[in-house]
Amino acid sequence: MDVYTITVLANIALFSFLAISAWLLLLVGEISFGQQAYFAIGAYTGGVSTAVLQLPFGIALLMAIAAGGLFAGLVAIPAMRLSGLHFSIASLAFAELVRSVLNVFQYQRWVDGYLTGPDGVNGFRDIRWIYDAGIDPGTYFLMILGCLSVVMLGVVMASYGRGMTIVRSVGENRRLAAAQGMNATRVRIITASVAGAIAALGGTLYAHMATYIEPAQFGLMIGVHSLAYGLIGGMGTVFGPLLGVLIDIGALETLRIFSGYRMIFFGGLVALVLIMRPRGILDEATVAKVQRWLRG
Amino acid sequence: MVDFIQNTLDGIALGSAYALLALGFTLIFGVMGRLNIAYGPCIMIGVFAGAGVYSDLTQSIVMIFVATLAGTILASAYVERVSFAAIRADAALASMVSTFAVWMQLEEIVAHLFPARTYAFKELGHLSLIEAGPFFLRQESLFMLLVTLAVLLGLALVLGRSHFGLELRALTDSRRAAIISGINVRRIIFLTFLLAAMIGGVAGFMIAMSDGQVTPKFGLWATMKGLVAMVIGGLASLRGAVLGGMLLGIIEAQAQWYFGASVREILVYAILFAALILLPRGILGGPHTVWRS
Repeated sequence: MDVYTITVLANIALFSFLAISAWLLLLVGEISFGQQAYFAIGAYTGGVSTAVLQLPFGIALLMAIAAGGLFAGLVAIPAMRLSGLHFSIASLAFAELVRSVLNVFQYQRWVDGYLTGPDGVNGFRDIRWIYDAGIDPGTYFLMILGCLSVVMLGVVMASYGRGMTIVRSVGENRRLAAAQGMNATRVRIITASVAGAIAALGGTLYAHMATYIEPAQFGLMIGVHSLAYGLIGGMGTVFGPLLGVLIDIGALETLRIFSGYRMIFFGGLVALVLIMRPRGILDEATVAKVQRWLRG
Repeated sequence: MVDFIQNTLDGIALGSAYALLALGFTLIFGVMGRLNIAYGPCIMIGVFAGAGVYSDLTQSIVMIFVATLAGTILASAYVERVSFAAIRADAALASMVSTFAVWMQLEEIVAHLFPARTYAFKELGHLSLIEAGPFFLRQESLFMLLVTLAVLLGLALVLGRSHFGLELRALTDSRRAAIISGINVRRIIFLTFLLAAMIGGVAGFMIAMSDGQVTPKFGLWATMKGLVAMVIGGLASLRGAVLGGMLLGIIEAQAQWYFGASVREILVYAILFAALILLPRGILGGPHTVWRS
């Protein structure tokens, strides 16, 4: 595979983390415009860990996951008391808050004779771990794919166990779920925290591939896109958000005929799907049909 | 103390523009219970239409104003059809996401028609300051305040005296009662969108004139300011929108003066987040907000 193909595939995989993160919150019934905040937190935490603190890559991943989960949980404790519109605006407010804080966040140290670290609006350059460790793009793509597979496997396993049933019940009707003895608030907070951790994992992987990050990369439109992926792909299965990413980045961004008009097509597609299939292309009914057909 | 009062004066002028943006959000939220996030981008279409007329056709301030208003109204009508009329009445969040999708389209349309990004807009011109003791008021601030007052007065007349205003208020109080009374809900919603677009067009025109230029960032900016002001004031209260706008303007002006621009940004979003959690109904929004203009 040439470098261009690998870059496109890696972008698809990286956006999938963000899309799955927003999709998980859709399952508990909340629309978040702010998952890019945890993506950014993950990117900065991971970048600082390897480039400034010179920690091993594995530790950096763990730290990013922990930071994303922690922040998302802390935000969710007050925000999950809200619902619907209020939650959506709160998620948007938090994401812009993170971005404006990163605009002034500075943490630079001398490493090997270079001043390295986040420098406010000027960004954070030289996150060079994959070059220092001599990892070629193809191998790094496989590492991203490995992490993504672990996340997806986790979600699929949860849908065979009780976990996903609880999450979906709470999303369907919070009061009814509480009446069944589920602690709805706790389920919502834990889901938000897991979603934050997944986004942060994607963020770290992104930072090490890009080697340069800046606050402007984590704007509102990234969050809206990742939310839209789950909505058009479908709520029924974890492959829904993946389908959304494939349609947008795989088809619209890559195909020449759409060049320059990608947003018009994608925006129109999202608007159309919301009108015709409110729960996405692969919605619960479709997934159930496919499962019955597979069982024969 | 002199600084503080001067900042408050500047803040009120800025806040009057925010108040108009918040009013547009509130009117739509009032009749539909849904948010039109694409409100700012619609106004952006308007100010770019105005900038296009200014650079290519005429210097006439009336024509530029008409173009701004027409652009905003056209874009708003499109949003209403695609994101609101076509989506089921109980799917409020789907509407909101759909307005984001339309936003993407509007931004790309502007990027194609106006590739240079920053365009000149008719300026108010260099006007003198009005001084009173140690304080001063820029004439553009006075212009903003006067225009805002005129719009508020006009809005009060429309809502309080016209039949459409009566229907609009009835719909805001209770959708069900409005339907039973034989009000054509879809028509009122469409007209409310146009009314909100007109207010937004005036606000956009005024802001673009005082800036002397327009950029594609205007859409996000207008949406965020309107949204914050609306949330602070109370989700469905018109008085709350005006109060929230003024408050936001004053807070921004003080923060800018004492702490600088980047802290101002942080503070605004922190206030929005805190307001949502501590005052989910805003300052003036009760459980059943009384709607008076």
